[in-house]
Amino acid sequence: MSLVNISKPRSQPIGRWRLAPRRESHAVWYLFLLPTLLGILLFTLYPLAESLRLSFTRGVSEQFVGVQNYSDVLASGTFWYAVYNTLYITVFQLFIAIPLGFLIACLINSLRRTSNFFKVLFYIPNATSMVAAATVFLAILHPDGPLNYVMELLGLQKVVWLSQPVSAKWGAVILSVWHWLGFVIIINLANLQAIPVEYYEASSIDGASPIQQWWWITVPNMIGSLTILFVLGWIGGLQRFADAYMLGGLQGSPARSLHTVVGFIFERGFGGSEYGIASAAAYILFVFILIFTYINTKLLRMKI
Amino acid sequence: MSGVYKNRSLISAVIFVLLAVIGFTMIYPFIFMISVSLERTANLAMPFPPRLIPESSSWFNYQLVFENKSLLLAYWNSIVIALFSVALSVGSALFGGYAFSRGSFRAKRALFFIVLATMMIPFETRLIPMFTMFNDLGLVNTKYPLIFPSIINALGIVLAKQYFDQLPEGLRESAKMDGAGEFKTFFYIFVPLTGPITATLAILSFQDSWNSFIWPLVIINDQHLKTVPLFLSSFSSENGGRLAGVTMALAAMSILPLLMVFLFFQKYIIRSVALSGLKGE
Repeated sequence: MSLVNISKPRSQPIGRWRLAPRRESHAVWYLFLLPTLLGILLFTLYPLAESLRLSFTRGVSEQFVGVQNYSDVLASGTFWYAVYNTLYITVFQLFIAIPLGFLIACLINSLRRTSNFFKVLFYIPNATSMVAAATVFLAILHPDGPLNYVMELLGLQKVVWLSQPVSAKWGAVILSVWHWLGFVIIINLANLQAIPVEYYEASSIDGASPIQQWWWITVPNMIGSLTILFVLGWIGGLQRFADAYMLGGLQGSPARSLHTVVGFIFERGFGGSEYGIASAAAYILFVFILIFTYINTKLLRMKI
Repeated sequence: MSGVYKNRSLISAVIFVLLAVIGFTMIYPFIFMISVSLERTANLAMPFPPRLIPESSSWFNYQLVFENKSLLLAYWNSIVIALFSVALSVGSALFGGYAFSRGSFRAKRALFFIVLATMMIPFETRLIPMFTMFNDLGLVNTKYPLIFPSIINALGIVLAKQYFDQLPEGLRESAKMDGAGEFKTFFYIFVPLTGPITATLAILSFQDSWNSFIWPLVIINDQHLKTVPLFLSSFSSENGGRLAGVTMALAAMSILPLLMVFLFFQKYIIRSVALSGLKGE
């Protein structure tokens, strides 16, 4: 309350004449913004424009080829397979990690004393770099690794995870769920704690059981944050590279089943020095992401 | 009444056990990593069935890791890059956030929109020109390309702006009354109050810098300039599935120091992550 009162005079300055002349102080604010604006110019606007220019050129001489690169990328089976792999891994990552993370967050939230312990415990994988996590998972997914041991214990066949296209993608799904789950839990916990306690108090006076409370109060109040997680995860998933690259290498082995869109950009750009093709693919990715960002802002405005 | 209470603590106990089991699964990869890294024979064949406690435990793999100075060098590179990146990105976020919070200048809204818009542009779209630019400057295989771009910190500006917004305006008015300029006001009045937000911004940008992979992979070829993720990735891809013992020892040594930092600062880190996730979309 007091903050509002103090900040009020800003819009209606009392005794403007007493303060330093306003017009002079304009320029100083641009100095505050200089580092950011310089950075945006050099590392965002210029590369964005240059990437667009490159996407219409080909070869070392940067010869103009029109939309040839775009049509080549869109006609490339390798590219669409990379899109498929990216979507496959991301869809399963999200549909496993978000509900699972939400349930775990609800369980953690219901505990009183040990909730912080579990919060930290579940967040540890997310605090390690993806490269280190993937290195460990190369051993977990090893034919003689622990995952196959569990499969055997359950009476299932051993799987040579990183040798078959589908099982290799599932290896990436398992890794990414494990790595991302902690983030989902933290975001969900923060939002669970933001649900007003009064809702629960009022409903328990009305005789609602904990399960009823969960279904009628918790879940509806969490749909917004679950949507946000979905969109964040989707945008991040489209840009996946480190996990697939670590498990499948430059070409996304086996049989390109771990080749992602960013892997395609990386391979064509830096493996083959085909800057034109890589830039065109990068712009196609950009459009994909813009569409999802647009949907994101729509959803947020609707406050689902 | 006591029956309800008993029932409640029973449910709590069941939840606790359930979470402990899931939690063990989450932590198991780390346990496995340590166990294999202590197994001398793991370099020949993966120990099967997996053991919690190694059969013939020895520090052999760790000795190998430390005899070769590459990992320590990679640590040094990552630390230097992260420190400069944090300084640049936190500095520019505080400056920018302050200007957008307290400044009155032309095109303020448009500039803020531009800053927000940079968050939506994926790094991969800028990757190739960024490389050619630093290549033309002769800065490939140096630390500079891994530091300079940190100066853009759009999320940091948003978080800093929100932080400055909730500080009382009276602070600035009284400083200006005393004749202090904008920079003096910023440095003497506001910066001393930015402890919590600076910590948050530093943690987030440290994690970004430390974990970044594709950009260093493009920029660094020189063995002596590799960052920790690069070194680990090249070691594990060169050796494929072989040398599991040494690879796990390397992975452990690349994770453990940071894990210590995480456990020490966990409260701040988790809060920062929650804040970035809630407001960064």
